[in-house]
Amino acid sequence: MDFSQDYGIHDNAVSTGTTIMAVEFDGGVVIGADSRTSTGLFVANRVTDKLTRITDKIYCCRSGSAADTQAIADIVAYSLNYHENQTGQDPLVAEAASEFRNYCYNYRDSLLAGIIVAGWDKRNGGQVYSIPLGGMLKRESVTIGGSGSSYIYGYVREAYRPQMNKEDCVAFVVKAVKHAIYHDGSSGGVVRIGIITEDGIERRVFFNTESGNPVEIGN
Amino acid sequence: MHKIQSFPEYQVPGAQHQDFSPYESNGGSIVAIAGEDYVVIAADTRLSSGYTIHTRKQNKLFQLSEKTVLGSTGCWCDTLALTSLVNARMQMYEHLHLKTMSTEAVAQMLSILMYNRRFFPYYVSNVLAGLDSEGKGVVYSYDPIGHCERTTYRAGGSAGTLLQPVLDNQIGGKDRDVKNKPKVPLEKAKEVAKDAFISAAERDIYTGDSVILKVITKDGITEEEVQLRKD
Amino acid sequence: MNMELVRNVPKGGFNFDNCKRNEMLLSSGFQHPKTVKTGTTIAGIIFKDGVILGADTRATEGPIVSDKNCSKIHYLAKNMYCCGAGTAADTEMTTDLIASQLEMHRLNTGRQVPVVAANTLLKQFLFRYQGHISAALVLGGVDKTGSYIYCIHPHGSTDKLPYATMGSGSLAAMSVFESRWKPDMTEEEGKLLVRDAIAAGVFNDLGSGSNIDLCVIRKDSVDYLRNYELANLKGKRHGDYRFKPGTTELVGKEEIIEVVPFEAFHKKLYGDETAEAMEVGA
Repeated sequence: MDFSQDYGIHDNAVSTGTTIMAVEFDGGVVIGADSRTSTGLFVANRVTDKLTRITDKIYCCRSGSAADTQAIADIVAYSLNYHENQTGQDPLVAEAASEFRNYCYNYRDSLLAGIIVAGWDKRNGGQVYSIPLGGMLKRESVTIGGSGSSYIYGYVREAYRPQMNKEDCVAFVVKAVKHAIYHDGSSGGVVRIGIITEDGIERRVFFNTESGNPVEIGN
Repeated sequence: MHKIQSFPEYQVPGAQHQDFSPYESNGGSIVAIAGEDYVVIAADTRLSSGYTIHTRKQNKLFQLSEKTVLGSTGCWCDTLALTSLVNARMQMYEHLHLKTMSTEAVAQMLSILMYNRRFFPYYVSNVLAGLDSEGKGVVYSYDPIGHCERTTYRAGGSAGTLLQPVLDNQIGGKDRDVKNKPKVPLEKAKEVAKDAFISAAERDIYTGDSVILKVITKDGITEEEVQLRKD
Repeated sequence: MNMELVRNVPKGGFNFDNCKRNEMLLSSGFQHPKTVKTGTTIAGIIFKDGVILGADTRATEGPIVSDKNCSKIHYLAKNMYCCGAGTAADTEMTTDLIASQLEMHRLNTGRQVPVVAANTLLKQFLFRYQGHISAALVLGGVDKTGSYIYCIHPHGSTDKLPYATMGSGSLAAMSVFESRWKPDMTEEEGKLLVRDAIAAGVFNDLGSGSNIDLCVIRKDSVDYLRNYELANLKGKRHGDYRFKPGTTELVGKEEIIEVVPFEAFHKKLYGDETAEAMEVGA
């Protein structure tokens, strides 16, 4: 007897077939993600928060295996918190990104993790770092990741302008992620946005409805 | 010699390769018991695949003639293909010979039809029940490629391995004092068939919902239905 | 103590000695023995005053039901319970192990352990074994900070959710939650909803069946409602299948049969040692 068509709930690892994105602006960063977590064909969580806190002013966007990325994020968050306590200073975004890179690179054979690290620090302001599958680390002014990103490379290239202000960046990220959700089957749900500045994070949620309300009235 | 290490294959979410599989097991069980002048055949009505139920009301007993009933489970699409072929061949026989096929003849034909697909078999578990040309109850059982055996009682299908020892003991008188080997009256046969299904539904996940029981005697065929567990 | 008796006492932790051998056996066509899987429906929700967990009670080995009334809601701590789906042994041992760690933590800190702590311990344990420990869990509990439901997958990923389902019947159960769950339900509403979700799994998923267990956890009380509903009664047979004495045929002659009282039998095996002497002393 074979249960191979058992919706892939049991054998498949839980993976965040995802769209994630981050943009730098003067004074901070805007990060964005969809909210779908799937195991095979099944949506395991439709309200996921893939914008994960590392410190108050450093966040990461997770894509790939949920287990792997959660584990790394927990370890890095722990270690940066330890350093914060020992030195009494906020860690740099580059330090966080470097630590993520070390895990992603050293364990690249056993991990499935594509991570964007973004945040604000006193020395370098808003920064975005991308760590794709093999464990490379690169700073970029705008970056996208996850399975849904392949659908919006063209849009991002066309619509991104350097020196956009905060609200322009938010509108840009929301629009890009919405496009990715539309085309990618394993991205979905709402668009979660985080705006990280000197003052910490401001969070916003954008519903994927025509009116922008959580539920379409009259439906 | 230096062995070239292959680059690790990173798993990527998205499309995944799936092998084509022509067969599916749709579950279901059959019990048939033959007596001196009757034969009882019963099958449950659950049709399923994997962990899902397709329907709770699928009759798996096919009345082939006034004296012959075929119970068939396994891959349900093969059951449908095979039974429609049997029906067609029985009609051809009737037109050619101007008489209905006897149970023995149907039994032999079924064996040949199945062996005809020796290298791409009908994935079915068949039990044929009927009255023979002398009016005695008879049961034929088959493997998927046409091996045929004439017996007096048989269990088949997904709970076949659970049901057969019960019949061996209650009907065949196995593991009992041979001096007391019971001669099975019709009522006893019906009771054992129903009870066996009630117990099989407790332990086999592919058997349940209800059981349809057909009794063939010289006076015709009667049918009754008993409810089973629905979980 | 007599070392002959305790030669094979294992060290702590898992033993991997047979991995290589089993790999060899498998490659030469040996079939894995089947493990008991709880092809399951488990679920949990947050309601006004706490959380409600639910589970069916069927355990299977392939297509055969191996236990018709097993218990899938495991104890973790006074304020926390955990439903388990997957391999029965894995869910049981994992929850037992974490339960003892939580108790140690409580004794060390002198405080009620928060639900996040259990979630972290479980996810780190499962991640360490990279999905080889097949435990899919729905963790529910109430602590000083509120009521929580966590969904924990075998590879170690977790989701914090207001309502969650797992196991082979998770789709059936989730369809009930997605259509009827709302925030701040009363206890009666909540129990009915979880009952209906588990019942959907019991009747529509072949891996789930038999009865429905519930567990209601409130701020300072717990109701463990074992067999809250007997959704499926055992079928009633009509015949009588008790065997009369003498049913089994006697093979061979009667005089070879000898009735030996226990004491004499024991003496035959162990000589003059009495039964008490067999007990392992200090």
